[in-house]
Amino acid sequence: MSLGKYLALDKLANLFNILKQNGGIRGTLYKLYRQEEAKDGVLVGEDKFGNKYYENPRYFYGRSRWVEYNEKFHLNYDASQVTSEWYGWLHYKTDLPPHQDPSRPKYKWMIDGNENLSGTTGQYTPYSTTRPKVEAWMPKKAE
Amino acid sequence: MLRQPLSRALALSSPARVAPLAARRYADAVPAQPEKVEVFIDDQPVHVLPGTTVLQAAAQVGVEIPRFCYHERLAVAGNCRMCLVEVEKSPKPVAACAMPVMKGMRVKTNSDLTRKAREGVMEFLLVNHPLDCPICDQGGECDLQDQSMAFGSDRSRFTDIHFSGKRAVEDKDVGPLIKTIMTRCIHCTRCIRFASEVAGVDDFGTTGRGTEMQVGTYVEKMFLSELSGNIIDLCPVGALTSKPYSFAARPWETRRIDSVDVLDPLGSNIVVATRTNEVLRILPRTNEEINEEWLSDKSRFACDGLKRQRLVTPMLKDSRGNLAPVEWEDAVVAAARALRDCPPDKLLAVAGGLADAEALVALKDLLNRLGSEHVCTEHYFPTQGAGTDLRSSYLLNTKIANVEDADFVLLIGTNTRFEAPLLNARIRKAFIHKETDVALVGPKVDLTYEYTHVGDSASIVKDFASGTSSHEVMKRLQQAKRPVVILGADQLKSEEGPALLAYTQELAHKLQENLQDKEWKVLNVLQRTASQVAALDIGYQPGVGQALAAGPKVVYLLGADSGVVTRESLPEDVTIIYQGHHGDVGASIADIVLPGAAYTEKRATYVNAEGRAQQTLVAVSPPGKAREDWKIIRALSEVLGAGLPYDTLDEVRDRLSQVSPALVAYGDVQPNNYFAQARALAQSLQKPVSGKLDVQLKQLEDFFMTDAISRASPTMAKCVQAVLKQKNSPY
Amino acid sequence: MSLVKIFSLSTRARVAGTSNALARFASSNEGREETVYPQAMAGYKYVNADDPNMTFKEMSNRAAQTLFWTELVRGFAVTLAHIFKEPATINYPFEKGPLSPRFRGEHALRRYPSGEERCIACKLCEAICPAQAITIEAEERKDGSRRTTRYDIDMTKCIYCGFCQEACPVDAIVEGPNFEFSTETHEELLYNKEKLLSNGDKWESEIATNIRADHLYR
Repeated sequence: MSLGKYLALDKLANLFNILKQNGGIRGTLYKLYRQEEAKDGVLVGEDKFGNKYYENPRYFYGRSRWVEYNEKFHLNYDASQVTSEWYGWLHYKTDLPPHQDPSRPKYKWMIDGNENLSGTTGQYTPYSTTRPKVEAWMPKKAE
Repeated sequence: MLRQPLSRALALSSPARVAPLAARRYADAVPAQPEKVEVFIDDQPVHVLPGTTVLQAAAQVGVEIPRFCYHERLAVAGNCRMCLVEVEKSPKPVAACAMPVMKGMRVKTNSDLTRKAREGVMEFLLVNHPLDCPICDQGGECDLQDQSMAFGSDRSRFTDIHFSGKRAVEDKDVGPLIKTIMTRCIHCTRCIRFASEVAGVDDFGTTGRGTEMQVGTYVEKMFLSELSGNIIDLCPVGALTSKPYSFAARPWETRRIDSVDVLDPLGSNIVVATRTNEVLRILPRTNEEINEEWLSDKSRFACDGLKRQRLVTPMLKDSRGNLAPVEWEDAVVAAARALRDCPPDKLLAVAGGLADAEALVALKDLLNRLGSEHVCTEHYFPTQGAGTDLRSSYLLNTKIANVEDADFVLLIGTNTRFEAPLLNARIRKAFIHKETDVALVGPKVDLTYEYTHVGDSASIVKDFASGTSSHEVMKRLQQAKRPVVILGADQLKSEEGPALLAYTQELAHKLQENLQDKEWKVLNVLQRTASQVAALDIGYQPGVGQALAAGPKVVYLLGADSGVVTRESLPEDVTIIYQGHHGDVGASIADIVLPGAAYTEKRATYVNAEGRAQQTLVAVSPPGKAREDWKIIRALSEVLGAGLPYDTLDEVRDRLSQVSPALVAYGDVQPNNYFAQARALAQSLQKPVSGKLDVQLKQLEDFFMTDAISRASPTMAKCVQAVLKQKNSPY
Repeated sequence: MSLVKIFSLSTRARVAGTSNALARFASSNEGREETVYPQAMAGYKYVNADDPNMTFKEMSNRAAQTLFWTELVRGFAVTLAHIFKEPATINYPFEKGPLSPRFRGEHALRRYPSGEERCIACKLCEAICPAQAITIEAEERKDGSRRTTRYDIDMTKCIYCGFCQEACPVDAIVEGPNFEFSTETHEELLYNKEKLLSNGDKWESEIATNIRADHLYR
């Protein structure tokens, strides 16, 4: 083991790295406020909603990939804002990020936006997709 | 399709089925029994008559031999080879369905050879059968599916899919009722045999041979039969499926409720398949006494009419004369007010063709309590002479099943083919298998079998009755050991109706007196509607002519939709109360509409043309605010202050049994024997007749839409269109 | 007094230990009362608390540990140490745990690449569903193909067993990877056909990848 490790200099380097990557002390404090944790990592990609995906294998498996939600969501970020393309990578199903995976289907009928809208005006409300079972008789109107 | 191959095969020979037939016991019906031979099925000895096939003998000891082409009610074809069994000392396996038993025969239905033979046949069938079970409507009730599970190989050797592929056959268009997917056909020829033997429409046949064999109609042609739906049940695979029911449901998810059909007067036994409170399809239920296992197309396919044009809420005429939905309370109070304010002699109730006995008796009791006696049915029956007092004069006394044993059938002014298709199928069965001859007085129609057309003049019946006719038919009638005379009830509407009935009674009586078989009944009157017999039993007056002439102030229509009651035939200030389940003729002229339940929605009693009481069961609940009919009348009576003395269905049925025990003797026909008395009472009515007999339903297109339910059915409308189109086709 | 309590505690533990059937069997068999468990019996291991050592040194050690709260201090030290360690938990929703391609989450109805819905209304999923959560109604579509008019899944009845996707002959109904579909009301979980199809449209990328990842084992 090197001397640096004994003196925890690598930890210090990581701290400065984190501070640098998250935009100085102010930026890091904001990150801590918004997502309770500031980490350093490699930006792997960005999805179409502007969520950024990072990776740092220094963290253990389970924490080595993370998403930073688009700034515009501020504190209204939600786990379901991750797009389905990135979902597998973020959940460690695959090591190929979607933009490097040519076998992912891209059909024109595929749609975006799997955000869970429960509790908002955009929420799903069930309705019947069938015709009524019984057609009632309508009497002829007298003129 | 009817999932009862083993039980049905067993029933053929079991005492349970033989008993009703044996109970008839005619003078020459039981010829000397030839000696039985002993055969061994899987080493179980069984004694059967010579001529029995191996398959039937096996069924007697409860061994089911798989089959596709064999069907108890059709001729043996022996072309599917699924029933191959090993017979000792026979070099090759034999087809059990076609092989008559021989003395001491030892059949092995479960030997290695038999199993291998079945597996081979199964494999050959599946080579050219598509594996589209997930989209096939037969899935779940498919003989091929079941038998390949039971007898087929557990793996496939089929590798040819990329080389020559599976056989594919173009679908045929045989009309709006039957959907054909001919690639699935396994060439059992059951449909062909049904069409030529039972339906009597020789449209189906095969072309080509080997892999090229196709079942079809040769030319693009609709299957013009009133019994066409039965080939759907017969088809062991999904080649013929029901078009209206296509893709609607799977057999495992439907609830099946036993019920009785009311769209023709025979009261065929049916099974109503429902799911999520919706009638999905109607299938026949085996009843040897009535419909065997067939069902007419109207009974089978008109069920989608139960979902259209329904009355779902009570309605009242508003100030502008339009019917507007109201609550039950308002409608019942309005109806009660109209009934109470009306003088009893100006009160009239008319029962239609689909009314059940419970509602009929409740309505009659209500009107009687209000002091009125004017309760009528829509269809007329002569009231002179014995009138409707003697039950035997308006029933089908011979009984439907016994028509098979007749040796001569005389039809007077009736087209049984469309008025009672299954009765016609029985006559045809007798014609084919027993060499029964048929003669018809009335317009020349296609009955699907040959008959002697005597003419269409009513005076012919008079000549027959008086014995003065020199027609050949007269001689045949007199020589017949078991003659049957069937009179269409429609003929009795005219002025000469009473006389015609009197002559027919006279003729029937004369024929009956000469018979050796004293149990045999000759006289039959074929009613047109399911409710008529019950209504006459309860004491309704047949026909509305006189009652309308009296100018009633309040008319209570209980499902009266045949159009005999019109606004024009009634005074200006009349109030019409309509109670029924469909917005049809009756509801459109009504001032107050009370929504009732259709036959699938109530437990109700119907009496068929034979006088056999049967009950329908609740398959689905009535739509919207509709209620069971007798309950509506019961509620109305309460508001009127003339409460009827029954609150439950059992109490109504007690009341029915007071009126006539026959009305609640479910499944039985009470014997009626007052032919001589009826004839005696009617003798004074034997006036000269000169009119011509005409029937309402002459062609197939007339058959489909005859009542409120079938008129509301889109399928039936499509049938009429298709038949008319077929008429214009060159074939 | 407190010392007595400490000691009585251990005796109780021993008494409770004798309720062990084996111990009772052993003691009755050999007729002795104290610590006579068959220590050396092959295949058995004595798991109950051992009797404390009753030498004076051991007793005073135990008393000292209790009096000086040494265990408490050790516990706090562990807590303090963990503050400086990397957390073992993951910071959801930014970090997410690993999932299998076979994960059975929210249902979806898939389409063919052409955009045609796959479901052919064979109703096998409805039949196999052990919770009876699926309701299907079907009819013939205009072009004569077999299609559903109603495909409802009650997600609150569903037990996520995956039988429906096993039963499906055309890979139409699948349990997708999504588990983040919790709702505020019950009715939002009564999915209809449109909802399921749109789920399929949203998740197709991931569903197709999962199916491919697993294709060797299907």
